Amino acid sequence: MTQLAEKPNPISEKKVMTLAAALTDGMDIALERDEKVVMYGEDVGVMGGVFRVTTGLQGKHGKHRVFDTPLTEEGILGTAVGMCAVGWKPVVELQFGGFLYAGLDQVISHVSRYRYRSRGRWNTPMVIRFPYGGGLNLLEQHHDSPETYLTHTPGIKVVFPTTPYDAKGLMLAAIEDPDPVVIFENIKLYRSVKEEVPTGYYTVPLGKARKVMDGSDVTLITWGAMVTQCEAAAKAALEAGISCDVLDLRTLVPLDLEAILESVEKTGRVVIVHEANLTSGFGGEIAALIAEKALFSLEAPILRVAGFDTMHSPFNPINHFHRPEPAYIADAIRKVLEA
Amino acid sequence: MAEMFQILAPDGTVNKPELVPAFDKIEAMYRQMVRTRYLDDRFMVLAKKNQMGTYAQFGGQEASQVGSVMALQPGDYIAPMYRSTGACIAYGWDLHLVIMYWRGHPEGWRIPPHLNMLPIIIDIAAQFPHAAGVAMGLKMAGKKNVVMSWIGEGGTSQGDFHAGVNWAAATESPAIFVIENNGWAISVPRAVQSKADFLMRRAEGYGIPGYLVDGNDLLAVHHIASKAAEHARAGNGASLIEQITYRMRPHTTGDDPKAYRTDAETQDWIDNRDPIDRIRKFLILEKQWDAEREVALKTEVEKEFAEALEKADTYTKPDPAALLEYAMVNPAPHLIEQQQVLADRIRMVK
Repeated sequence: MTQLAEKPNPISEKKVMTLAAALTDGMDIALERDEKVVMYGEDVGVMGGVFRVTTGLQGKHGKHRVFDTPLTEEGILGTAVGMCAVGWKPVVELQFGGFLYAGLDQVISHVSRYRYRSRGRWNTPMVIRFPYGGGLNLLEQHHDSPETYLTHTPGIKVVFPTTPYDAKGLMLAAIEDPDPVVIFENIKLYRSVKEEVPTGYYTVPLGKARKVMDGSDVTLITWGAMVTQCEAAAKAALEAGISCDVLDLRTLVPLDLEAILESVEKTGRVVIVHEANLTSGFGGEIAALIAEKALFSLEAPILRVAGFDTMHSPFNPINHFHRPEPAYIADAIRKVLEA
Repeated sequence: MAEMFQILAPDGTVNKPELVPAFDKIEAMYRQMVRTRYLDDRFMVLAKKNQMGTYAQFGGQEASQVGSVMALQPGDYIAPMYRSTGACIAYGWDLHLVIMYWRGHPEGWRIPPHLNMLPIIIDIAAQFPHAAGVAMGLKMAGKKNVVMSWIGEGGTSQGDFHAGVNWAAATESPAIFVIENNGWAISVPRAVQSKADFLMRRAEGYGIPGYLVDGNDLLAVHHIASKAAEHARAGNGASLIEQITYRMRPHTTGDDPKAYRTDAETQDWIDNRDPIDRIRKFLILEKQWDAEREVALKTEVEKEFAEALEKADTYTKPDPAALLEYAMVNPAPHLIEQQQVLADRIRMVK
């Protein structure tokens, strides 16, 4: 079921926030509401994180709740497993998505399996959050989009907030969720999107896609910063008389397959857009699910617009040919209509 | 050259009489050593007969495991690895569950609520960051409890060894990290792992106490482990202990040590440095043990094993539903859909 928006409860005051500020606000409220929530990682304490997403939280909640740790991803992720065993709810930050690899063994072999392995004795209700994605002029490993490693790992939930409203609500939902949740925070969206966000507590449920634009000709399925790109492409298409159904999946695990199929059955034409490289990307999984569940609704082959199958290049001046731009999405829209 | 801490010489005579604990405590530990040795060998027989899966023996490391784990108190935690079965049994893991665990029975994998035992870790060294996290969490909760974790000397080459010990040291968290240096990482000898003469040297780099202990001397192991536990409990943080011991058995069911070490080397440890012989000799010298009690203990342990095996053998067969349980607390839709696939497969096989 696609949800356009959830009403905060209780209805509260609103304030204009960037995506980064909304994430901070969500974490602030979580620290306030649950004394078992703690936050740690590299630079998250005094400095408030390299993207300042934990700014002010140590000052407000104390060094025992928000703190800096040794510089080790396997340590941050591995200790979070142990912290969960003694009743804490760690919300840990990795400095960049590309630094996940240094600690990936702890995620794949332990964070995701601890509950299964102990048959429910030890749970891992942690949140792992990091900036990801391209579009700025940073260094290697600072622009990666590593979602596939996590969606392929059983037991992990994968969340991509794209609006400030969602960022806060998904953050609160993720912290409350009893399973391990990874939040992909897009570096390009941190401060480029702003909107009014309720100042009080609310959640956005995991597993419900957001309908960004309503249309009947082509379905655009996407997540993260590519929502903005798809929206731009869809707006341009609309001027040419083509209406697109744009779905922001919000969470890849759990996946809102119902929303995908509802849209595919309506349009019969599908373009999947993601920033991660093409091969074995999550777009392939979505295409397979559509083929399994709605093949006969299709009027054209499914197309994917994604990054090249190379590392995210350090060649920043030409990286816009790698990262999907509205023009490439518009081209795919044309192709599925002509097929 | 660091001096190896020892209370009992291999012949059972006492080097440091002032450090000998109460005899009832020693007897309790000795009983666990005899018990775990017997069970370890029985488990290997079960594995060889295909009545258990791959099994990693700890034979020869009974002093190292029993002596350290019995330094813990109620409310403490252990973070074991695959060769820590002896420690887990001495810590109170129900015997039929141990058998069922190594058989791959889902109910054997269910860690009982009375046991503060983290899951047995197979991939090398990953338990150390977990232990560091438990320790930090205990400290943050204001608890007076500690965590103990074990690793082989090969495991000290892993990044997770460093990540875990350094973390607990830096955060002054109550952890006891035990290196069971049994000489061999499958076929790779200790010398290949590190240029350092002793692995406990690293403690200095972490800024924590480090100990070199005769790992086949029950009293030495227990004394140092207790000291490290008290240090942690008093709020002074982590310790690193290297216990020199020997894996008198193969690496696992599938391993034949003839491929990489001489029988003479193993036999020398068995004949001259067996940890059980040493403490038994001491107890007999001190007139705290005799042949009659030995026979009674053996009978008791045999009976216990037979009963546990019977319980494991007659336990309800594994339910295939276990395959999809505990994957997520709130299962994602695809997991719920796979319940149907499982139901279909069960029907197909019947």
